[in-house]
Amino acid sequence: MNEIALPVVFPLLAAVAILVLRRWAPALALAGATLSLAVSLWLMGRVAEGHLETLLLPGLPDMPLRLTAEPLTALLTVVIATVGTFVLIHSVGYMKQESGLPRFYAVMSLFLAAMQALVLAGDWVLLLAAWELIGLCSYLLIGFWFQRSEAANAASRAFLYTRSADLGLYIAVFILIGSAGTSEIAATMNVGGSVAVAAGLLLLLAAMGKSAQVPLQDWLMRAMAGPTPVSALLHSATLVAAGAILLIRVTPLLAPGVLLAIGLVGGFTTVTTGLVALAERDLKRLLAASTASQYGLMLISIGAGAPLAALLHLVAHAAIKSALFLAAGDFQHARGGTGFDRLESVGRIRPWAFAGFTLAALALAGIPPLSGFFSKDAVIAAALSAAGAVWLAPLALAGTLLTGAYLARALRLLWRGAGGTRPVAGAAWMGVGVWGLAIPAAALGLAFGPIEALLDLPAPEAEGAWAVLLGLLAAVSGLALGWLVPARRLLGPANPWAQSGLTVAGGLTAVVGRPAMAVSRGCERLEDRLYAAALRVGRRGLTIARGCERLELSLYAVVLGAGHANLAMGHLVRVGDERRIDGLIFALVASVRAWGDRARTLQSGLIHHSLAISAVVTAVMLLILILASLRF
Amino acid sequence: MLPLVSITLFLPLVGAVLILCLPRPTARTVHGIGIGTAVLTLAGALAMWLEGVSSAGFSQVEELEWIPAIGAAYRVGVDGISLPLVLLSAVMFLVAFIFTSSLRERPRAYVVLVLLLETTAIGTFTALDGILFYVFFEVSLVSMYFMIAGWGHEERQRAALMFFLYTLLGSLPLLLAILGLYLGSPELSFDMRAWIANPPLEGAAAMWALIAMLITFAVKIPAVPLHTWLPAAHVQAPTVGSVILAGIMLKFGTYGLVRFALQMTPGAFREAGIVVLIFGVVSALYGAFAALAQTDLKRLVAYTSINHMGYVIVGVSVAALTLDPSVRTVALDGAVLQMFSHGLVTGALFFLVGMIQERAHSREMGEFGGLLKTVPLIGWSFILAAFASLGLPGLAHFPAEFQIFLGTLGSVPAAVVVVLGIAIIAGTFLKAIRETFLGEPRQRWHAMPDLSKRELLAVAPLLVLTVATGVAPSWVLDVIHRTTSSLVL
Repeated sequence: MNEIALPVVFPLLAAVAILVLRRWAPALALAGATLSLAVSLWLMGRVAEGHLETLLLPGLPDMPLRLTAEPLTALLTVVIATVGTFVLIHSVGYMKQESGLPRFYAVMSLFLAAMQALVLAGDWVLLLAAWELIGLCSYLLIGFWFQRSEAANAASRAFLYTRSADLGLYIAVFILIGSAGTSEIAATMNVGGSVAVAAGLLLLLAAMGKSAQVPLQDWLMRAMAGPTPVSALLHSATLVAAGAILLIRVTPLLAPGVLLAIGLVGGFTTVTTGLVALAERDLKRLLAASTASQYGLMLISIGAGAPLAALLHLVAHAAIKSALFLAAGDFQHARGGTGFDRLESVGRIRPWAFAGFTLAALALAGIPPLSGFFSKDAVIAAALSAAGAVWLAPLALAGTLLTGAYLARALRLLWRGAGGTRPVAGAAWMGVGVWGLAIPAAALGLAFGPIEALLDLPAPEAEGAWAVLLGLLAAVSGLALGWLVPARRLLGPANPWAQSGLTVAGGLTAVVGRPAMAVSRGCERLEDRLYAAALRVGRRGLTIARGCERLELSLYAVVLGAGHANLAMGHLVRVGDERRIDGLIFALVASVRAWGDRARTLQSGLIHHSLAISAVVTAVMLLILILASLRF
Repeated sequence: MLPLVSITLFLPLVGAVLILCLPRPTARTVHGIGIGTAVLTLAGALAMWLEGVSSAGFSQVEELEWIPAIGAAYRVGVDGISLPLVLLSAVMFLVAFIFTSSLRERPRAYVVLVLLLETTAIGTFTALDGILFYVFFEVSLVSMYFMIAGWGHEERQRAALMFFLYTLLGSLPLLLAILGLYLGSPELSFDMRAWIANPPLEGAAAMWALIAMLITFAVKIPAVPLHTWLPAAHVQAPTVGSVILAGIMLKFGTYGLVRFALQMTPGAFREAGIVVLIFGVVSALYGAFAALAQTDLKRLVAYTSINHMGYVIVGVSVAALTLDPSVRTVALDGAVLQMFSHGLVTGALFFLVGMIQERAHSREMGEFGGLLKTVPLIGWSFILAAFASLGLPGLAHFPAEFQIFLGTLGSVPAAVVVVLGIAIIAGTFLKAIRETFLGEPRQRWHAMPDLSKRELLAVAPLLVLTVATGVAPSWVLDVIHRTTSSLVL
């Protein structure tokens, strides 16, 4: 069945067409995304009817590329295409005043294609390829304004962070293919034993890089230097989602110890990045920190053995967070920045965008009947019923509380104060984008039942009432705290530290980057020494060669002298008697014979011997020639 | 049936002779003959490609009597390991001639040297006779020496000398090894096919022969710590010299490692494999770290070559070590493809750095910034080639490195630490791109012209092939795989 490839093919074609034609970029990109959405929906329908499909494509020898349409992958293609389409609609307005649009829309389309390939991938090679390609697209999009030093640095940092963490994915993939003997993902899920533990931990590392989990979260905040639609698409709903998606897909592989590790990483992240978000002075950076925090919640539920809860939260969060970002883009255009000092009272000036923002924020905080309420409930229920509930449940609740707090704080900062506005170009396009995602953000809860029925994933055990109660309590008290108490007071002395991103020991850059640079400089110093040593050897050779040359010159002088002597002797001989001459000639003949004998021993008749000698002689001769030519 | 291999092999030589015969040719004529010859050679290589290889042994073998008394003959032919390298050579030399067609400084001698180099390169990859191989292997040095010494940059004499001394002295041990194989072969023949089918040496003799070969090839590849000639030579070499040196001549070493060390002394290589593997890992990581410290773009690319060639050493030694034929095939597939990919990608990178140098008379990345705005075509080409070099999927190095690492993990799991190299190389290129192409454009370079048509024609084929090899590696891998999967060691 070739239709599986279509969600990937349409955006890919759009990207190519944009690069070739260099015009109609927004229209082409939108067409690609819309068609991808249509095919994804159709595919989803077929899968729901029970048609599971696989498409094999030529890849490496004995490792064909494989696209698989199953409930999970089909659902994710729909999510990605939906978010992608609305973000692109929003971009039409947001990017109106920019130059370099073909590049922007081509890379956005390429990103969509790669992301669809990632979720549809049925084998590790394709998954790894798509995984790295979305990293590339992220690099190109964060660095869209490459003349700005901040954006250029942020792009490099994002790629480097995720690439380094990707080493985990590489090695895990090698381990899995090596022990299962095939690159098909499904077939590598039952390797078991220590292999599964090692692979699981390595996959966690890769997921931490992409999903911006502590301590690899720093790149995500800086990535906000890119255009806001990029943040909405990549840094909330798709690229960052890849980490969680990966872990959801490999749940059968994960051993209990690995699960606990995943849960703890997620729990730790949700709390720390929640605190960072609370202290943030920039709306986009707050949303970025919140993204890391929400993915922390998803990791908690994966760790709790309830990937379904994680998936529900992922789907809800995709709509919610992209709506939030798109609204932030609207505010950004109204005020020329995203710092809270600039955004005071912007909510009253841009009511439509603010209404969408508020709706999405309440959904994320977990207020019923909005989608986030149901997904967060599932997460908390999972944490409560997990083996490591003692750890996971308090962390999940704290994360929920913090979510409410930082969102309420953001709402308050956007509402209060005073400030003007400037004309916003393309507001209609942006509005469609915001509301196109805010509505699903609110109403997705309705779809959760069918999704649960469709997917074959372990669901959290019903801890029902407690989870609902605790979750609501955390959400509401978080909202109240955030609205009523300024962040400075909430965080107390920890506020400056949280504002700096809760960095420990100078952050990852210091802990990993500096030693790497030190090794690198060490190599460079060693390199100088090696070069100097080679030169010394060369010079010594040169000295020997010069000695040879001197010998050669003196030999020449000797021969010349001998010649002169000969002439002189000839002169003498001319006056001498015949017997003397004969004697001289005989002596000459005898000496020539002796030399010939000596030469014959050199020509031993063995070809290798003479070859070796001729090679050495040629080498020496060439050497002397070169040295001589160098001196002149 | 046309003797395709010989035609392809000697066409460049014929072109060189033609140029030498012409009385006072213009630069235009000389370059025209150079490009024309290279096009015909590429056509020959493509014809060889269409002819293909069979799964067992060598195909398209051509044989003539030469020195029957000692069992040396003119024997050429290809298999899945050498054919991609022949094609690579034909492509690289053609783009090199295109790039160099603006040269007005002694063009006749230059084109003759490059044509001579092309024959020796194709000869090295197709020779099936020990003596013939050695002759081609050695004569290539002469051309390259004169290219660096005659057309290089400021300190070219010293660099050329270093290059020559290193590689010449380095190749003497190979001669000894070849003689050893000859003396050990039952009917005293220089036929490499016989040496491969029945490795003539055993025990200590094989080990000595292997050590001798390893010294030669380690200089040529180059492996740490015998690599110091490479950055020096690259920095001083003219652009085309660098492209050919990195794109083709380094492969003489890795090709020899497979053809001679692995195929002719497999037992000894298995015993010593772990040592070679360690050298490979050290080379790859050391090259990566040294590249990270560079601020000179050309030196940086030179060091990434050491890193990439290190992966090839790892792949080949893993193939020697493992007893599992499937692991061996994967590792060798990767190693051979890596040679091919590295030629394309590094060739493109050296072209681009050369173009920048020609325009700015500098290679220090700190002096640039924002060039992506000023010269977008050069910038995007460099970014594409750089991401290929750092192993991005969809580009040429990924399938190669993936298979090498996969094979490594399947045989010596600890050696998979070499995978760290891809993160370090990523850092290296990100830094280079950041410093050179991103950021605010500087006033100084505002007048810098972008790719000319000639330059575009030189670099675009390499980039297209880089993408083609990355997206659908099977067009090369199928040929390689046919040989590696039936290799008996």
